[in-house]
Amino acid sequence: MNTLANGIESAEPGAAAAITADIRDRADPALVRADRVEQLYSQLPLGMAATIVIGVIAAMELHEGRLLELVLFWGGLLAVVVVLHALLYLGYRNDSQRHENTGQWLRWLGIGAFAAGATWGFAAAVFFPSHADERQVFLAFLLAGVISGGIPMYAASWPVFAAYAAAIALPFTYVLATFGNRLFAEIALLIPLFYGVSVAIAFRLNGVFLSGYRLRHAYQRQLVELQEARRQIEASGRKLALFAERAPIAVLELDADGVVQDVNQAAELLFGYAADELIGHSVKRLVQPKHHGDFERDWASLMTTRAPLAGVKVRNPRRDGINVVCEWSVTPLVNAEGRMLSVIAQGRDITAQLEAERMKKEFTSTLSHELRTPLTSIIGSLQLINAGVLGEIPKDVTELTEVAERNGQRLLDLINDILDIEKIESGKLKLMPEVIRVDELVREAILLNKGFGDRFKVRYQARGELLTREVTADRKRLLQVMTNLLSNAAKFSPEGEVVEISTEEVPQGLRVGVHDRGPGIPEGFRARIFGRFSQADSTTSRQKGGTGLGLAICKRLVEMMHGHIGFQDRDGGGTTFWFELPRHA
Amino acid sequence: MPERPLNRICYVEDDEDIQRIVRMSLERIGKMTVELVTDPMVAIGAITSFKPDLVMLDWMMPGMDGPTLFRKMKQLPEVSALPVVFITAKATQRDMDELIALGAAGTISKPFYPKDLPDQLRAIWAKLP
Repeated sequence: MNTLANGIESAEPGAAAAITADIRDRADPALVRADRVEQLYSQLPLGMAATIVIGVIAAMELHEGRLLELVLFWGGLLAVVVVLHALLYLGYRNDSQRHENTGQWLRWLGIGAFAAGATWGFAAAVFFPSHADERQVFLAFLLAGVISGGIPMYAASWPVFAAYAAAIALPFTYVLATFGNRLFAEIALLIPLFYGVSVAIAFRLNGVFLSGYRLRHAYQRQLVELQEARRQIEASGRKLALFAERAPIAVLELDADGVVQDVNQAAELLFGYAADELIGHSVKRLVQPKHHGDFERDWASLMTTRAPLAGVKVRNPRRDGINVVCEWSVTPLVNAEGRMLSVIAQGRDITAQLEAERMKKEFTSTLSHELRTPLTSIIGSLQLINAGVLGEIPKDVTELTEVAERNGQRLLDLINDILDIEKIESGKLKLMPEVIRVDELVREAILLNKGFGDRFKVRYQARGELLTREVTADRKRLLQVMTNLLSNAAKFSPEGEVVEISTEEVPQGLRVGVHDRGPGIPEGFRARIFGRFSQADSTTSRQKGGTGLGLAICKRLVEMMHGHIGFQDRDGGGTTFWFELPRHA
Repeated sequence: MPERPLNRICYVEDDEDIQRIVRMSLERIGKMTVELVTDPMVAIGAITSFKPDLVMLDWMMPGMDGPTLFRKMKQLPEVSALPVVFITAKATQRDMDELIALGAAGTISKPFYPKDLPDQLRAIWAKLP
């Protein structure tokens, strides 16, 4: 439609020059020249015939006087010229490459024209001085005739005419000028003028021919382009129709009143209506009656804004009364003049998808409940035994119950981590940001993880003065990140070591670092350390516990809080894990 | 904070294993008196006669779930003032926030740690008016 509008806009006055230039540029110069040469050669038979007729009349008239041999010689010359022209003509006609060899054929034609002109010039030079008055008039009339006859003959190429006419006029002028007669001398002065005028006319005609040929070629090319454009439009029209017809999504064309103009097969199948039952009726047929009011309001607003809508979820009743949930894209088509042509509505049946999402949610929820409830009993029982609630228990029994409690806890951690990852990746995890003082966060994390550190005989300690600056973050989730980093540090530190926690200001905000004296991160593991189920080697999880999801969760949580997480080798051995969060404004 | 220490707990829970663990935790570690109710349909009668300081409700129970029981309690003057703590494996943060907004004293998520449970309850008790 824009193209259409642009086309209309460009046809304003003053654009004529542009169109002319366009036509000139569109015509292929080689083709135009071939046309001109063709035109010149097509005149040849007429020219030859005229030459023979005029030559015979002239010979009859002139031989009555003296110089019969000269007349015969001249007649022979003329005959040779005509024969050579005839050969030239035949040669041209039989050349299958004549449209490519235009330069060569034009050159030969020029030579031929000059030869013909020179033959007439010879007649002027030889016969004019030798004859009496009335024959001189005849000769002058004859020469003027052959010159002016050359104009239409050679109009397609003015230089050819100029050569032809010059070959006639030059000797004639010379004869007149040197005759010794004042009148003739005056005529001799006029001939170059006539010559100039004739060449000028030929030049103008040449221009007319040229623009004519250019127009023809431009027009031809335009026609070809138009045909091609039409073919393309037809093809894309067919393609478009096919797209809509065979698309697996329902496509409806509506008018400004919401009346269905056209539907595709998918729409028929989805809603259970035949096309005839929908076309001509309001699309409200596909809207639940209780929502007709909402629909009318939304439709009116669409007609006002004319802005395309996407992702509109609607519960649509089918013909059999069952509802399907569809996601609609609604696009008003507006032409260049701002008139609404139609509204295209494309609907995708997402009923099954929603059901699958619901089932997944239910599954996750069930998994969460059904796995955690028995684990609560298992871990709880073992914890009570291990806490000494039942009194003194033989050492080898507690050794086993501790193994059982630890592994029960590991299983629970895994379930929690999987649920966390699932929640984060499905976008269901909602953070509850609050303003947190960094020093308080670190102290709370140290306190929470002290027990875990004790198990590995590792002590957590703040490094220097902690910053009292604030960040905006979800406290519970940030503590989860801290707990992950602290427990990792403890697991990998040698017994008796200290894990340091530092806070510092960085350009991006505040950085919390956890520094351990562990073995460092193996080279091959660095790239995937924040990936899911990644542990440096599979024996680690057996020795140290952990699910391999901890750092993946940390990364996602920190990024959800608009921060970054990373690690680096520590001077003197060990690793520093850090995260940065934007400062609270 | 209430003047007297937390002592009498009534726990409505259909899973007898968890009942046993909670009883052991609260009685042996927390030195509290515990009344267990398995069937939520008879819970209100049991609560009324036991006169607990605090009621613990499981979320998922056959017959009547914890939140429904909680709303029922709120309508009965003799039990409506009792502080209620939910103990659940399923609830999302939003569910829990909703319960707190309805007047629940606190929530404890499963799995809880029996070693820490008495302290957790006392912490909730301490925050009560």
